[in-house]
Amino acid sequence: MKTLVNVARYHLVDRITYVALPWGILAFSFLINVAIAAMAPNQPLGGIKTGGLVSIYVFLLVCGVVSMTRELPFGLMLGVSRRGYYLGTALLVLALGIAYGLALTVLQVLERASGGWGFSLHYFRVPWIMDGPWYQTWVTSFVLLVLFFLYGMWYGLAYRRWGLLGLATFVVAQMLVALAVVAVVTLTHHWTAFGHFFTTVQAPALTGVLAALTLALGLGGFTTMRRVTV
Amino acid sequence: MTPTISVTQLSRRYRDQAALDNVSLAVEPGTVTGLLGRNGAGKTTLLRIITGLEFPSTGEVKVFGAAPAENEAVLRRMVFVREEQAYPDFRVGHAIRVASWFYPNWSAELAEQLLADFELPLGRRMRRLSRGMRSAVGIVIGLAARAELTLFDEPYAGLDAVARQLFYDRLLADFAEHPRTIVLSTHLIDEVADLLEHIVMLDHGRVALDAPADEIRGTGMTVSGPAIAVEEFVAGRPVWHRQRIASRASAVVPGPLDATAQARARALHLSLEPLSLQQLLVHASGTAEEKVSA
Repeated sequence: MKTLVNVARYHLVDRITYVALPWGILAFSFLINVAIAAMAPNQPLGGIKTGGLVSIYVFLLVCGVVSMTRELPFGLMLGVSRRGYYLGTALLVLALGIAYGLALTVLQVLERASGGWGFSLHYFRVPWIMDGPWYQTWVTSFVLLVLFFLYGMWYGLAYRRWGLLGLATFVVAQMLVALAVVAVVTLTHHWTAFGHFFTTVQAPALTGVLAALTLALGLGGFTTMRRVTV
Repeated sequence: MTPTISVTQLSRRYRDQAALDNVSLAVEPGTVTGLLGRNGAGKTTLLRIITGLEFPSTGEVKVFGAAPAENEAVLRRMVFVREEQAYPDFRVGHAIRVASWFYPNWSAELAEQLLADFELPLGRRMRRLSRGMRSAVGIVIGLAARAELTLFDEPYAGLDAVARQLFYDRLLADFAEHPRTIVLSTHLIDEVADLLEHIVMLDHGRVALDAPADEIRGTGMTVSGPAIAVEEFVAGRPVWHRQRIASRASAVVPGPLDATAQARARALHLSLEPLSLQQLLVHASGTAEEKVSA
């Protein structure tokens, strides 16, 4: 356990990558959105909706890639096994997911209370998936943050293990999986049921599906890690 | 006593090329071993397998009596300082601080002294350091870790002669106070010759030589003087190398030479000189027909 905590501390020793940059980028994107909302001549019905929140998730994906590429060689120099390095990084991901999820939840509460920061802006509220009670927002944010980070880690590991060609294969393999899903749904004439699921699913159930996906990504990355060389 | 490192019939192939080919060797505790050989001889691959960073194709490696790969009980007892170690984009101070958390025998005092010796700026970002300074960071970590098994793989890329001497001095001084097992892979053979107790030489992925340094020293002699006298002296002996400039010549013959041979050389007014370790290894690395048989 001490090793895992130390691996997590290793990532955080320079707080720029995991703390300053994601929040800096989010703050920048938020301020731009506020400025646009403030200048809008007339508010659309239901407030101004933006997709700016996605920036923090995308940046966490980048963090995941960095953790398994640039930070890996020195990490493995420190007498840590691959398993320890992966699990220690996963520990950091969980901690960041909890903390950042909570921060996003607080910001959402503030946004709601202030009437969209005074400009009917929906920045931290995303219709349907992240517009429910605070605890639901916290859980969903947590799952999504972890999902993006683990996904990035898997990309980084695929690159480290198989190089650029392997990375391309990895992307193609994912497309083939998607294609296989489409083919199965088509051949079994289940498009109606498929559409029905996504139009009637409740946000908590969707979060559950995402959590299952997150777990799968984590397992995939962990398996890829086992034979990585630096 | 269990050897600190024991390698048995180890091979590592990359596609059609064998980086290591049936390597077997043992490193005894508390010794300083030189891992020598030309570029591409397999030194780095061997060290990476010993430290669990790479996997063998066939064969077995044991460190402290157990397989090192994915074994933190073994891994945390060793430190591996690599040529051109890649660092994250952080500062010198960060690298040192992180290392201090992981190595159980870390000496903050020694780290501080070495940082001052090498004049390393703690606040500088790693990527802004010169090559030599980046190497110095690795050396500071490798020495201050005081790991039971310390492996250096060409640790001084870009370091000047003064800094290299500093490294040797500090290594010897700290080794004397805190004995440990050291493996040093290098090209600068004559610089480290006095440090080494044991020598392993790799050539094309195979062990070309594995012997105590003392046994190797004196296994080659250069005989030089008038060409006729040199020819007379070497007649009937194996000759590794011959050189002739005008009427003077020199020849390299296997040593050590017995008293009779030495007296004969004196009588012929020939000068005898033992080959340096580096020269010996150049001869042993396959260019000569006869190899050093130690």
